Amino acid sequence: MAELHPIIRTDVLVVGAGPAGLAAAIEAARLGVRTLLIDDKKSPGGQLVKQTHMFFGSKNERAGVRGIDIAVELGRELEAVGCSFMAETMAIGVFDDGTVTALHRDSQIVRIIPRTMVVATGAFENMLLFPGCDLPGVYGAGGFQTLMNLDGVLPGTNVLMVGAGNIGLIVAYQLMQAGGRVAAVVEAMPRTGGYSVHASKIRRMGVPLHLAHTVKAVHGADRVNAATIVRLEQGKEVPGSAFTLAVDSVCLSVGLSPLAELCSMAGCRMDFVPALGGYVPYHDENMMTSNDRIFIAGDVSGIEEASIAMVEGTIAGCSAAARILGWNVEQRLGEHKRQLETLRGGPYGKKARQGKSELWGIELEDEPALEYAPASDLPQAVQRFTSGKRLVIECYDRIPCNPCEEACRQGAIRIGPDITSVPELDADKCTACGVCMMRCPGLAIFMVNMDYAADMAEVTIPFEQCPLPQKGETWTALDRQGAVLGPALVTRVVSATAFDRKHLVSFSVPKQQAHDARHIVPAPPSPRLIEATPQLLDTDPIICRCEDVRLSAIEKVIDQGYRSYDEIRRITRAGMGPCQGKTCQRLILQILSRKLGVPMDSLQPSTVRPPLKPVPFDVLAAASMEDANEY
Amino acid sequence: MRIERHPILTFDRGCRVRFTFDGRELEAFSHETVAAALLANGVPVLRHSVGELRPRGFFCGIGRCASCSMIVNGIPDVRACVTLVEEGMVVETQHGLGSIHG
Repeated sequence: MAELHPIIRTDVLVVGAGPAGLAAAIEAARLGVRTLLIDDKKSPGGQLVKQTHMFFGSKNERAGVRGIDIAVELGRELEAVGCSFMAETMAIGVFDDGTVTALHRDSQIVRIIPRTMVVATGAFENMLLFPGCDLPGVYGAGGFQTLMNLDGVLPGTNVLMVGAGNIGLIVAYQLMQAGGRVAAVVEAMPRTGGYSVHASKIRRMGVPLHLAHTVKAVHGADRVNAATIVRLEQGKEVPGSAFTLAVDSVCLSVGLSPLAELCSMAGCRMDFVPALGGYVPYHDENMMTSNDRIFIAGDVSGIEEASIAMVEGTIAGCSAAARILGWNVEQRLGEHKRQLETLRGGPYGKKARQGKSELWGIELEDEPALEYAPASDLPQAVQRFTSGKRLVIECYDRIPCNPCEEACRQGAIRIGPDITSVPELDADKCTACGVCMMRCPGLAIFMVNMDYAADMAEVTIPFEQCPLPQKGETWTALDRQGAVLGPALVTRVVSATAFDRKHLVSFSVPKQQAHDARHIVPAPPSPRLIEATPQLLDTDPIICRCEDVRLSAIEKVIDQGYRSYDEIRRITRAGMGPCQGKTCQRLILQILSRKLGVPMDSLQPSTVRPPLKPVPFDVLAAASMEDANEY
Repeated sequence: MRIERHPILTFDRGCRVRFTFDGRELEAFSHETVAAALLANGVPVLRHSVGELRPRGFFCGIGRCASCSMIVNGIPDVRACVTLVEEGMVVETQHGLGSIHG
């Protein structure tokens, strides 16, 4: 294996080749400064490489293109602008003089000396604490998605999804695309956190969505075989509400935390902003941290959508390059900042708007609270027309997205410059061509033909499941909640390259079902297995997976008078294992905050020190010899 | 279970390889990680934890959490979720901390 030169100098170093880092590297290199992008994976793309769904947003953010294809496009742009990319290289330390140490292929330490740096290291998944949370078969949703969409391996075929944010809803849908079954989705909040179009997609496929419910325990000897779910009221378990589902896997999608270790290590000011996901490096609108040579972009600056990460990346890349070139950055970034404002509009952007206002100490103008329900709960919105062939757009909750308007050549769909507006259809202009149905990332546009036959209507739906129905087959029609309506005769299946792996499937149903039928399945679904709730043998969950520290041990030392995370760490060893507290630190801080009755931001997280991941001694030893020769 | 048909993706699994897991010969594909290959073969338990020797499996999938540390070709603490499986690889369940003397 070829060794790299142990010392690498560059103008801009970008750490992390996800959507934010790629955008930053492309922008910096385009502005003519020497740019090096590093990532611990073999190829660039970050989380994009497993995002099989079409992105939301506008044309500027590549809306309507699948994440996996955006990764390829950005990879090509990276090459075109002449940016160097170093794969399998993980930044493991940053030092006072700005030098970054990186571990290359787990076998060599390289020192990178950049003039400015963009940290785009993304986020890591939050853990949830319950008895059995460490059993094989409990996965982070991201890990599950990696197995499913990169390795092509389905680790479970009957899965409980915990969390109904966009990631939970999307992974649940992708699980069904991969041939698995989702036993249920539970969400502790009384509403879904993700786009209602994502919730509607899985509900009409028959997935029960239990709001104000959470997982209480997972059962099994050496692997998951069941999960107990309880209802919550004001965050408390409702007595007698427990039920147990037979499942072989539990997927956790309960939020992300910014992965800001490098910034913390570099001494950047860190602020605790819950609306942004926890501790984030303070940054200004140009994505500069409190260190004027370190910039950030993407989830590390606050948990948001990938489309926003890309825009932030462009801003950070431009700022990092401008710092070297001595340019005034303000006039170059106006357009991108307006783009961010648009993407953060509407109810879904409110959290981020709040978070950034808090960070910048500005008052947020009072806006109406987030009020929406999954489209499937909005029957009043359904237009029950009795004749004609019409498009039905079931997109009600102001998602920042406009590919349907872009796609319509007749100008029949109107959204306008504020892309968080709800699409309006001008039925007189619509020719029912169906192009918008293919382009809608939310699969939220349908066609209903009430004039199909004397007592039968024809419904057309966008379809991206296996198997694909064939004309003449009889399938089963489901309504928006996934309830069986009855048989549906497949009348037409239209596929085309331009449809990008979506198909338009038409089927006929009795006219009275036309405004309810929104999905078809090959056969009526079998009932979901509900089991008797097993007695809990183990009520004390493992909080630190690396060192096997249980919740009771943490509570005990707090009762004994230990008051800080660092003390708890030393006395229990929680957070001292190979993961360096990534899984347990947040949980322990929450327990401390609850038990002591103090706010989270008054509690000190641990000091981050290099190396950020375990490095073999022989690799470290070899590096120190190289250093000796250099000086 | 390997995904045989998918509406969006096709999988380039590489070529067939054989490896052993705790003495059992198993089949995998060269582009699979050790953890993915074992899960595809229905093996969810990859190690037993450091303190209480509790069963542990694939968790974070990005080589950070150590839940999948295994003994590979005699070397302990190899993260099965980020290590590609190879022809003739000897993979063993790790019990507790690894030992450099096997």
